[in-house]
Amino acid sequence: MNIKAPLIAIGLALSLFQSTAHAQSPADLNDLEISHVAYTADNIDIRYAHLALAISQNPAIREFAATMIRDHTAVNEQALALLKKLGAQAQDNSLSQALQANSKKIIDEMSKLRGTEFDKYYAGNELAYHKAVNDLVENSFIPNIENAEVKSLFMAGLEIFKAHENHAATMVGKLK
Amino acid sequence: MTASSRRLFMTKAAVAYATAVFAPGVATLAWASQATPQEHHIEIKRFKFHPEKLEIKPGDTIIWTNRDIVPHTASATDKSWDTGKLKRGESKSILVTADMSVDYFCRYHPKMKASLNLIVKK
Repeated sequence: MNIKAPLIAIGLALSLFQSTAHAQSPADLNDLEISHVAYTADNIDIRYAHLALAISQNPAIREFAATMIRDHTAVNEQALALLKKLGAQAQDNSLSQALQANSKKIIDEMSKLRGTEFDKYYAGNELAYHKAVNDLVENSFIPNIENAEVKSLFMAGLEIFKAHENHAATMVGKLK
Repeated sequence: MTASSRRLFMTKAAVAYATAVFAPGVATLAWASQATPQEHHIEIKRFKFHPEKLEIKPGDTIIWTNRDIVPHTASATDKSWDTGKLKRGESKSILVTADMSVDYFCRYHPKMKASLNLIVKK
């Protein structure tokens, strides 16, 4: 379990969008559905971070988790403010639901781990999750978003999440 | 000495007097302006400090302003000073001292680094 755990996490994260074959294609989503997916993805990462703060004793993991809560909360607040300004509401969709279902599996797996096993799993999952979400945002969402302000927020968000991916890669390297 | 040559002499004398009297004053003013404490602005934007390097001297003030969506800090690498959490649009100023630590980073995003070039006259 201790060796396989991070690999399982990475596998789950990478298959996150492949397992949504029955769900809508990301390219078919409208701006409000895309906003819902992003909001959901932010909240999932916040939940992972809360779990890390509850279990991990590693200062680097705890600092990273605190940053994930701080940053994803700030981005979601910005997204909600923009939707309010536009007089719109994010729309739930099958991709958001698939994300939620996958995150439950990962949380179940992580909850069983302690110590270094947990830290490696969490760090590996953060790297894989940010890679997967960044790829989705950069290559599927941003090219298809129609509203200029929504697109601009996603571009700013992508920069933030790429910084997280970079930070997670360093964390994974240090835990080897 | 004709009237015109007298006027020319008087003009040259006036210029010489003015140069002798006021030129040191100009130099003093220039020196004073260099010694006057200055205010420097550093913007935090797109996960970078702008400028990443800044020349400062004791008595100056540095003001960091966060333009990003997410919070940042400007924190000395040796922990001797810290702006604390800067939310979007927030600013914090720090007075430059002669022994100020010059390398700093964002505590939330450790890959964000910058430095100050502290000039101390001896």
